[in-house]
Order: sequence, then C-alpha cells, then structure tokens
Amino acid sequence: MTPQARKICMLGDFGVGKTSLVARFVRNTFSDAYLTTVGVKVDSKEVALANGQAQKLVVWDIAGRSALDALNMSYLRGASGLLLVADGTRESTLRTAIDLLMQSRSLLPDAQAVLLVNKLDLVERWEVAPSTLVELRHTLPVLETSARAGDGVEQAFAELAGRLQA
Amino acid sequence: MSSELSISGFSADVESHIARFLFERAQPLLLEFDKSWQLVNLQGDTARFGFDLDDARTAAGQLQDLFLGMPLDETIDLPFVQMPNGRSAHVHLLVIDRGYQVLLLDAQGEHDRQQSQQQSGNEAVLIGHQKTKAINQLRQIRSELESQRARLQEANALKNALIATLSHDFRTPLTSIFGYLHLLEEEPDNSAGTRHALRALRRNSNYLFTLAENLLEYARADTRSSLLAPVRLDLSALVADLLGLFKPMAAEKALTFSIALDKADSEEPLLDELRLRQVLVNLISNAVRYTQKGGVGVQLLWKDGALKIEVRDTGIGIAEEFREKVFIAFNRVGQAAGSGAGLGLSIVKRLVRQMHGTLELHSKVGEGSCFRIVLPGLAKLVPEADADAVEAAPSRIERMHTVLIVDDGPDITHLLEVLLSGMGYRVRIVGDATSAVESALADPPDVLLVDVELPGLSGNTAVFRLRAKGYRGHIVTLSATPTEEARKVALNAGANQYITKPIDIEQLARTMQRAVASS
Ligand SMILES: Nc1nc2c(ncn2[C@@H]2O[C@H](COP(=O)(O)OP(=O)(O)OP(=O)(O)O)[C@@H](O)[C@H]2O)c(=O)[nH]1
Ligand SMILES: [Mg+2]
Repeated sequence: MTPQARKICMLGDFGVGKTSLVARFVRNTFSDAYLTTVGVKVDSKEVALANGQAQKLVVWDIAGRSALDALNMSYLRGASGLLLVADGTRESTLRTAIDLLMQSRSLLPDAQAVLLVNKLDLVERWEVAPSTLVELRHTLPVLETSARAGDGVEQAFAELAGRLQA
Repeated sequence: MSSELSISGFSADVESHIARFLFERAQPLLLEFDKSWQLVNLQGDTARFGFDLDDARTAAGQLQDLFLGMPLDETIDLPFVQMPNGRSAHVHLLVIDRGYQVLLLDAQGEHDRQQSQQQSGNEAVLIGHQKTKAINQLRQIRSELESQRARLQEANALKNALIATLSHDFRTPLTSIFGYLHLLEEEPDNSAGTRHALRALRRNSNYLFTLAENLLEYARADTRSSLLAPVRLDLSALVADLLGLFKPMAAEKALTFSIALDKADSEEPLLDELRLRQVLVNLISNAVRYTQKGGVGVQLLWKDGALKIEVRDTGIGIAEEFREKVFIAFNRVGQAAGSGAGLGLSIVKRLVRQMHGTLELHSKVGEGSCFRIVLPGLAKLVPEADADAVEAAPSRIERMHTVLIVDDGPDITHLLEVLLSGMGYRVRIVGDATSAVESALADPPDVLLVDVELPGLSGNTAVFRLRAKGYRGHIVTLSATPTEEARKVALNAGANQYITKPIDIEQLARTMQRAVASS
C-alpha cells in the first residue's frame, strides 16, 4: 500500500530556479525565460523510494522571498519537507536559503530540509565556493542541481522523500 | 441577506451593493465536500478554473492536496493559488458540520498586477548583480593588466639602467685606453710592428666605443627627451676627428678614404653635435667594415641652411628586400652580415628623425651602398655658455696656465696630467668635491676640469657651490654621460663647457684653448 502523500515546499530567493526545478521534476521541461511566481503553484508527483515503495509528493512552488512574511508562513503550514534552493551564481541566495530555513523552524520545527544549489550548468560563474558547501554539509544535505540540464533534480527530490520516511 | 448578518455597520442597501460588486469580481466557485472528500455540491462557474467536473474525483483530489498536513478544524485562507488551468484564485476552506466547503475567488487581475511589479523589481536586481559582477571582472582584469604593465615597466627600466651602467662602465676604461694610445702613437721611433699593433688597438677600441655608444643610445630611446641641443658646429674640426678615427682603419684594409667638406654658407651650422657625430660614426664604421676593396667616400655640404651628408662605399651592398629591415634594431640581416649588435642603422634612422632630417639609401648588391642624409640647421634653442668664447686660431700659450683636475680615478687623472702637462699646463689634482671647492677658492686655477661622477658630492655640486661663492674662473665639466639632460644640468650648475668621456685628445686641446682664451 502506498504511504500517505507528503507536502514539501520550495523555499528560496527569487530567480534561483524553484519553478524550473519543479517543472523539470514534474514535467521534465525547462524554459530559459524567467516568469516570476506570484503566490503559489501546487503540483504532485510520485517518487520511488529506496525500499521500493512509491511516495506521493505534493510540491508547493512558492514565490521567492528573502524573508518569510505572514503570507509565506500560511503556505508553509502542513509541510513535512523543505527544498531550500540557492543559485550558485549568486552567493547571497545561499545566505537567504539558510535564513529562510531558520525562520521556518518556528512553524515547522520537525520538517526535513535539503539544500539545493542550482544552476550547476553555470558552474564556471559560481560565486559559491566548494569549501562553503563542505561546511554546510555538516548541518544538512546539500545537492548541486541544474534545472536546465536536469542534473541532480530527481536525486534531490528523492533524497528529501527518503528523509520523510525516517 | 438579512440585517442580523450585517458585518460592516453599513445599511443593508450598501452592503448588498458591495456584495454584488465583489461577487461579480470574484466570480466565486463553491465546492462542497463531505467528510471523506466526496464532492456533494457545486455552485458557480465550473469551467472558470479548469476543473474537469466529469472527473470529480481528480478535481477533489487536487483541492484536497492544498490542505494536506493542515488541521482541518478551522477556516484556512490561501491567497493566490494557481489553479489547474493556470488562473490564480484565492482559496478558502470553510469547515461545516457536514464536511468542507472550498470557496475559490478569482484573483487573476490582482495576480497580473502584482506579477508585473515583482517581475521588473526582480529583473532589476538580477541585472544589477550581473552588472556589478561584470564591472568587478573588468576591474580585476584592469588591475591585473596594470600590475603586469608595472612589472614590465620595471623590467624595462632595469634593463635600461643595466645597459646604461654598462655603457658607462665601458667609457671610463676606454678614456684611458684612448689617452695612452695617443701617447704611444706620438712616440717618434716606433717600429713598424709597434705601429701595426697600435693601429689594431685603435681600430678595436673605436669599434668597442661605437658599440657602447649605440647600446646606450638604444637604452635611452624610451627615456631620453627628444629635445635637441643645438651648438655652433666647427665642421672642419669634426672632419678632422672623423679622419683621425677612420683613416687608419681604412688604410689597414687598403681602402681609399676621403671626407670632402664644402661650406657654401659662411655661417657655421647650428646642429646637435652629439647626435650628428653618432650618425656619422655609425655610417662610416659600417661602410668601412663591409667594404673589402675600393673605398669609402664621405661628403659634407653645408648649404642653404642644411647639412647634406653622403656616405658612399664600394662594399657588398644591400639587396632590395632588406632595405627596410636594415633599419630595424637587432634585425637578422644585420647580424647575418656579421655586424656587432645590429643597432647601428636603427640608431642612425632614429637620430636623423629626431633632428628632423631625411635619410635615403641607394644600394646595388656587389657594387656598394650610398646613404644620403639631409639635416636642416637648427634654430638656436639654448644659450650656448661657451659660444662667445670660441677662439678659432690655436694661439701659442704665452704663460703657464694652471689646471685644477677634480677626478677620483687614478688612471684618468694620470692620463690627464700627462696630456695637459704635454700641452704646457701646470696641473693640480684633487679627488673630491669638497677639496675642489677649497682648492679652487684658495688658489683659483685658469681652468677647472671637474669630473661629474665623484665619490660623495657630485662634480656638479662642486661647480654650483663655487659659483654660489662668486667663483668666476672657467669651468669644464667632464662626464661619462653624453645626454642633453646631463649637459644641461652641468651648464645650469655653472659650468662653461661640457665634454664627455672617452676623452678625445683633439677636443680636449681645443677645449683648453677656448678655456684659457676666455679666462
Ligand atoms: N542556466 C540555468 N538557468 C536556470 C536554471 N534554473 C533556472 N534557471 C533560470 O533562472 C531563471 C529563474 O528561474 P525560475 O525557476 O523562474 O526561478 P524561481 O526561483 O522560480 O523565481 P521566483 O519565482 O521569482 O521566485 C529563469 O530564467 C530560468 O530559466 C539552471 O539550472 N540553469
Ligand atoms: Mg518561481
């Protein structure tokens, strides 16, 4: 029997690729055009777990913000997992992702969190240093992804899904 | 709607008006579910948000997902949720006894307004970030280029300084070699073998001297000011010097060598002597070196305010395709021909250009080459400290004139002492600037011959101090630096004449004659 569906939220600064990651994950599409998200879009998809079972993920793609306001908080309610997204080409978005995680803790003290550093295809323009990621990995799982090329996207969602079981 | 439901305090009429207005705007869709999320009722425009109501289960599932994980015991408001067809709606969950009511209010208009604002704001930040990044990159590239340029400049300055000191180091020993050579050549009873040896010595010293001069000139290229230093030039004396330098070399190779001088204008030309000399020395020494039979002929014509120079040889010649290249420093043609540093002609070209002259080369392989140069006479730019002291006729020295030599090199001082005593001067020698000042003030000589490069205070300082104390005697400054700057500095300090090492005996003699004539 399939386990219960789980709600996860995409959290991160604007333009880091939250919508693109969901599009890649759910529909396997990508667009270079940037259309900012207002409010939220909810999608769902099943992922195969390591134990062979399938897990339905309800993915909330939330408008990018550098801080959580009341509106965002209302979207977060009921989430079991957070996909924090940063843009490797903008170091500041990594700080934002960590800020957002800390702010979300008051509402979601037990939510699982995985950090995605996106736009791996632009790695030669990355501002984020590898050593920074090494440090961060001591606190939470970190995956480098590219919504554009598809690298790491499936794994990222699977990683979070796996953690939701524990 | 009844009045007990009033929430605003407005009259029932106003409230119902507002309600109607908002209702039209919101285009509400109300879906009612039982406790197990089965759709039981539906009110409003069903097509509006793209729910497929033939597949009620899917539609219910999509809406149910929105409340996943939330406690369903109180009202839930979710603004701006994108519906299956892409439209934005405000979603409200109302908890009722029978189950749940989900109210969808259209928010597309509001969404679009907010999106266009947010979009331009976000894009501005992203572009700003890229711009900052690009600027920083450019900045970094520039600073890298700058530090690279600084390193290159430093390396170049070091190179120039190195060459300059080398040339300087060449000059001092050459002075002494030329001086003693002169003494030896004057010996009346030299054997043929000795004379031959002396000629070889002179030839090679000349060659070494030219090389050193060219190296220095080359190194100076970037730093030297292109200011010319015009002086009234004694062409006959120049011709005599050149004959002295090259006739023995030519004779040794059994070449004819002649310099014809034609002064059509009566006035002596005003030219940059150092540069002119260097041009002639380079051209003639090349001509002599590359000619194996026949000869070298030089013509100097001072006419219509211009000096026309022709240096013609019957040497190997320069092929058409190499005509341009021979004027490039360190070119392979020059080296293939076996010359020294390959600098001579490039320096000639530069010097001629600096003097606003023209240079032509005519040549036929196997028959010889002919260089033609025209140098316009210069306007008098700097006052010549010694111009009015020119004394053409070498007068006999009536009484013993005294010379105070200020130099610290024993070889040079000894040489000068021998030469000047030979010319009939009484010679005194001191080794530093301070003693020079004391000695000159205590017992003023007829001529003070002071080397610039002294240990401690420079010769120029000594000259300046003497002039500052009212010393009026004739001062000749001697230096290993043949630049206009150095010359100017010396003259500004108060010297009457400036001569450079290696000391040319004839020039020294003329200088001394001038000096005593004016004192
Ligand atoms: N090269 C590259 N571009 C990407 C990648 N992911 C997203 N983008 C681009 O980044 C821009 C923003 O992507 P979105 O997915 O709209 O970003 P978002 O995080 O949803 O932004 P908001 O909705 O404003 O918070 C778009 O132009 C995307 O095409 C990636 O992996 N590589
Ligand atoms: Mg988005």
